[in-house]
Amino acid sequence: MAAETPFKVSIPEAKLEILKKKLDLIQLPNEIEGAGWEYGAPLSDIQRLTKYWKDEYLAKWRDHEAKLNEDMPQFTKDINVEGFSALKIHYVHQKSAVKGAIPLLFVHGWPGSFIEVRKVLPLLVQGSADHPSFHVVAPSLPNFGFSEGPKTKGFELTQYAEVCHKLMISLGYDEYVTQGGDWGMLTTRKITQLYGGKHCKAYHTNTPTGNPPHPIRRPLLLLQHLLFNYSPKEQAGLDRTQKFWKEQTGFFAQQTTMPQTLGYGLADSPVGLLAWIYEKLVGWSDDYKWTDEEVLTWISIHWFAEAGPAASIRIYYEVIKATPDIFTTPVAISVPEGISAFPKDNVVLPRRQPEALVSDLRKMFGKGSPAFGLIVSKTGF
Amino acid sequence: MSTDSEASFTINIAQGEIEFLRKKLELTRLPDEITDAGRDYGVPLTDIRRLLARWKDGYDWKKHEAILNAELPQFTRKVAVDGFDELDIHYVHKKSKIKDALPLLFVHGWPGSFIEVRKILPLLTAPSDEYPSFHVVTFSLPGYGFSSNPTKRGFGMDQYAEVGHKLMLALGYHEYVTQGGDWGFYILRRQASLYGGTHNKAWHTNFPRALPDVEPPSSLPNPYDGLTEVERNGLGRTKWFRSEGRGYAIEQGTQPQTLGYSLADSPVGLLGWIYEKLVNWSDEYPWEEDEGLFLSVFTSRYMANFSVPTVLTWVSIYWFSRAGPTASLRIYYERMHEGSSPEETHIPMGYSYFPKELWRVPSRWLQAPNLVFESEHTEGGHFAAHEKPELLVGDLRTMFGKGGPAFGVVPGKTGYNAEVRHPPS
Repeated sequence: MAAETPFKVSIPEAKLEILKKKLDLIQLPNEIEGAGWEYGAPLSDIQRLTKYWKDEYLAKWRDHEAKLNEDMPQFTKDINVEGFSALKIHYVHQKSAVKGAIPLLFVHGWPGSFIEVRKVLPLLVQGSADHPSFHVVAPSLPNFGFSEGPKTKGFELTQYAEVCHKLMISLGYDEYVTQGGDWGMLTTRKITQLYGGKHCKAYHTNTPTGNPPHPIRRPLLLLQHLLFNYSPKEQAGLDRTQKFWKEQTGFFAQQTTMPQTLGYGLADSPVGLLAWIYEKLVGWSDDYKWTDEEVLTWISIHWFAEAGPAASIRIYYEVIKATPDIFTTPVAISVPEGISAFPKDNVVLPRRQPEALVSDLRKMFGKGSPAFGLIVSKTGF
Repeated sequence: MSTDSEASFTINIAQGEIEFLRKKLELTRLPDEITDAGRDYGVPLTDIRRLLARWKDGYDWKKHEAILNAELPQFTRKVAVDGFDELDIHYVHKKSKIKDALPLLFVHGWPGSFIEVRKILPLLTAPSDEYPSFHVVTFSLPGYGFSSNPTKRGFGMDQYAEVGHKLMLALGYHEYVTQGGDWGFYILRRQASLYGGTHNKAWHTNFPRALPDVEPPSSLPNPYDGLTEVERNGLGRTKWFRSEGRGYAIEQGTQPQTLGYSLADSPVGLLGWIYEKLVNWSDEYPWEEDEGLFLSVFTSRYMANFSVPTVLTWVSIYWFSRAGPTASLRIYYERMHEGSSPEETHIPMGYSYFPKELWRVPSRWLQAPNLVFESEHTEGGHFAAHEKPELLVGDLRTMFGKGGPAFGVVPGKTGYNAEVRHPPS
């Protein structure tokens, strides 16, 4: 296994200076009286966050940076991608003290980043007789975090999967399991299709997609849908999904069709980027009590991204162009599959319950459960 | 009786605002771009670089402001709207020299503004024996240009129609006709329902979006038979717009405030957001060659002074707008949430079809008892009044002129001099 190149988040002073200047010149819109969240991210929230960013958070950036580096050991590695230039990939890598720990590839989505591994990392690598332990690899997808991004057209799921898989192989993890939500789910699902069985031994997601009842494609499900009531929990989930599709998919429509147009504002305006992402952080989570510091760290990773804030959204354009039916075409997973369903999910983020997610992974891979021992020498114990 | 609250208005953006914009432009951070992206991913970076360079250095807002003030006689007045606070409405009002000219209300859309009346104004108000003349009124929609914005939720089509209608009444035009596209279409269709017959005597649109979807009326037999090439192309463009071109509308219709933070804070963000529409929605209109040289009346005066593209003026109107650019997005939200139902109008109605308009379905699908005028063009797009002013005005002259289907629709105001109307016996 080639030696790893350590990486520390260390944003150049010049970039901090530009951000400071921009924060000093912010111009905010007005708002409908009593709008709450109806029209989008509320003005009072954004005012508070930008003030905090300007007056406190940015001044302490080096502390935030240091904490990121302390919590997550990071590296970079050049990965070749067929049909594209090689990309420098940024990733978190932490080995468990347990020698037989299971290699786990953890893949984030949008508007997330590698930071989403932060809370689950210590829990996953923790050794115990009662539950399996994992070696964790969490890359920044190309165009996200501190990974480079492709400069040419057509970089879609095949390539995202290829990058992640090659990273695991290059780290000596010839056999591994995956965990992913949002784009992480789609990427790891692609990994099971391309590398499943031989390399990818199992797949776990916290954002399962399903296909709706349909007279031809899913007739039994349609029958069930017509004959039986949904439980209150299921109904609440359906209502939430409906609401998401009706009120919250503007970003999706824009990002899948004209990402560059949107990107001009996201690259130029810290508050524009903040609002664009913050609306999702709150809207897609279960009353998670985001601290202002957490929010700004998430946004900062996008603001300071190697590829700039306008590039990460290209994943929407490229994948939907390449596979327009990706959300409606069922995919049979060829390896053991684990699902964690969180009640306030819709299609996406977040990892509000790191303990629950980890607990599910531990159950899925623990002794006596179906995915135990898939990697012969790496049982997790 | 209400007092006449009309006040003369001159656009006069404070130096501080101009300076603030300059500082922001200086700090612009641009994204990168996919190689050979063309227009596939959105506005090309080269276009933005070029426009940004001119905006920063070479575009003199004050010069353009002065030209707008010279061309467009502007006013403001208070307009009460049922259930909402009083609004301060900015408008252009120009009377024809012909006393009995036909009063016409022109309503703009998004990302347009009152500026869209610029080229048609001299044509509409021109006196002639050959064609009718109009008294023209156009206003900045609430939340646009130099009108104030509604501060409460629910300001929808009824309210926009109410503003335009009340403005016409306040100006003494108790009977009038209307013209509009984009939001102008939706607003004027509602206005025709609410005030049609008594006050609104006829209406015309260049954006006949009468059907809710790209589906023919269910009662129509063989809707796809006998389509002309133009109609087939139109259906193709409509389908393109529906699948590729509506991201902005879905965002603006659901989370306008979220989007609005970047438009309010980033001039280049606003520029990109609007410029994409100017290019994609028009019929290859040469925006960047458009220095504002509209008519021979003006070219001799202004040719030497113009050094800036019209694009920057369009976008600057949003940047410097009284309510800020975010307010202009809310009409999408209110429309989406007020729900739509089929809307028929019963006053004489005219359609102009331009080939690069965004919604174009076969004419046969749009027939209605009150559709008295149709005109098909071989060039022009969504911004008809700006791209093809002569064609649009030509249609209005035909529709409302002598021998036309809507001639004399406002009694006593045919658009002609009395002597012409009543030849000596």
